[in-house]
Amino acid sequence: MNIELTVNGVRREFTIAPGETLLELLRRTGYKGVKKGCEAGDCGACAVLLDGRAVNSCLVLAAKVDGHTVITVEGLADDGTLAPLQEAFLDTGAVQCGYCTPGMLIAATDLLNRNPRPSEEEIKEGLSGNLCRCTGYVKQVEAVKLALTRMNGGNDA
Amino acid sequence: MSLPKVSEFVRPTDLAAALHELESVNARIVAGGIDVVLFPGDTTKLVDISGIPLSGINSDAEGIVIGATTTMTALIESPLIADYLGGVVTTMLHHLASPLQRNLATIGGTLISAHPWSDVIPLFLVLGARVSYYDGTEHTVPIAQFYAESMFRQRIILTAVRLPAFPPGTAAAFIKFSRTAFDIAVLNCAALVQITAGRCTAARIAVGGAPQRGYLLPHAGEVLTKSGALTAEIIASAARTARDEADISDDMRASAAYRRNLVEVGVQRALGQIKDKLEAGV
Ligand SMILES: Cc1cc2nc3c(=O)[nH]c(=O)nc-3n(C[C@H](O)[C@H](O)[C@H](O)COP(=O)(O)OP(=O)(O)OC[C@H]3O[C@@H](n4cnc5c(N)ncnc54)[C@H](O)[C@@H]3O)c2cc1C
Ligand code: FES
Ligand code: FES
Repeated sequence: MNIELTVNGVRREFTIAPGETLLELLRRTGYKGVKKGCEAGDCGACAVLLDGRAVNSCLVLAAKVDGHTVITVEGLADDGTLAPLQEAFLDTGAVQCGYCTPGMLIAATDLLNRNPRPSEEEIKEGLSGNLCRCTGYVKQVEAVKLALTRMNGGNDA
Repeated sequence: MSLPKVSEFVRPTDLAAALHELESVNARIVAGGIDVVLFPGDTTKLVDISGIPLSGINSDAEGIVIGATTTMTALIESPLIADYLGGVVTTMLHHLASPLQRNLATIGGTLISAHPWSDVIPLFLVLGARVSYYDGTEHTVPIAQFYAESMFRQRIILTAVRLPAFPPGTAAAFIKFSRTAFDIAVLNCAALVQITAGRCTAARIAVGGAPQRGYLLPHAGEVLTKSGALTAEIIASAARTARDEADISDDMRASAAYRRNLVEVGVQRALGQIKDKLEAGV
């Protein structure tokens, strides 16, 4: 069957199998920033924004999202300029092996889009569906706070 | 993993058409789709109900009506739900999975999949929610009856769940014990108490993840209604009764002995919260 999706601002047509997941579709069509981890909704590595909200793409049937809008980690930068969250993840050392990073960035983007001044608890809840085997999670929370400070015009001392 | 057995995907736009699509062998409804993807079984045909107008949160004289395809996120962000009974449903939802799953999972999919770990079921049992479903005609039944009778019938479409309005003097609480903030419950527990003229006139207590699907503990509730006032001693007595009454077993997350302790602690905490809320007048 055929579906149409807007991926990272570009409207595209895809031929899919009726039982294909969005994760499989995105990876085979070149969006390799969408990581395949557990394929069971547990790790968050496959997160994408679906109509602006972060979801596990391994749990989404591609056929179900015909006509909808998807943003992958590849779509977060603006014409080569990293988004504030991406800069902050680099600057705080929130990236080690990097496997969890795309999913973390997507989850954090959803959080900041709907809650511009989250508390530390709210940041932790926002990232609670994203597993990281390397960092111990402290740095990602710091990175979100740093991005917030910069986005709200403060300095990052 | 994609679902290799699936060969057909249809999008009916009304209930009658959806029911007709479900007549095929191995046809299955897709709402959020989480369970359909994780546990596909022999499903060969998917019936997507997101094109049927079943989503939304509204209030009427009897309470709140939640459409079946409403997501957990829509509920958590709803002011109507936040204002309902001191925000107890919102509190429960913050304990349910993470935003990544809450953005997908629907209330209808959750009630039909009826997982042992469901955080929704124990709370909706104590609230006395009512479930509306369609099998050619519309029916509305209490949630306990739905699980006892209707749910295992073939070809029903859950259309809405209704949360009743309560008089002042009613409070409810939800407690979840889990190994990490994101894990499913080792045990969860919910309680509701209604006080009229200083006396406890209604009380319901439920546990879930024990490890089977949530259920009411009528004897523990009776301790409260028979004793009248909600004192610390009566709370402790109800919690001990719940401990004895609960049907508990082992699984990989916890031993039965540990779970039994949690039942007592959980019920005690839930009733303690309710007492505080009632005294504070919320
Ligand atoms: C990693 C993870 C952690 C989770 N943790 C928790 C947790 O801690 N607590 C908790 O309570 N939940 C938790 N969940 C969510 C829960 O397990 C279910 O997966 C979810 O609620 C299913 O909702 P859905 O809308 O995606 O269902 P779907 O997969 O769309 O449907 C589920 C079932 O119901 C049927 N169905 C759906 N809608 C209807 C309808 N309207 N009428 C008739 N039949 C219907 C489908 O055919 C299917 O059989 C978790 C899920 C994941 C993936
Ligand atoms: S791959 Fe989707 S949550 Fe792990
Ligand atoms: S940086 Fe390696 S998994 Fe998170």
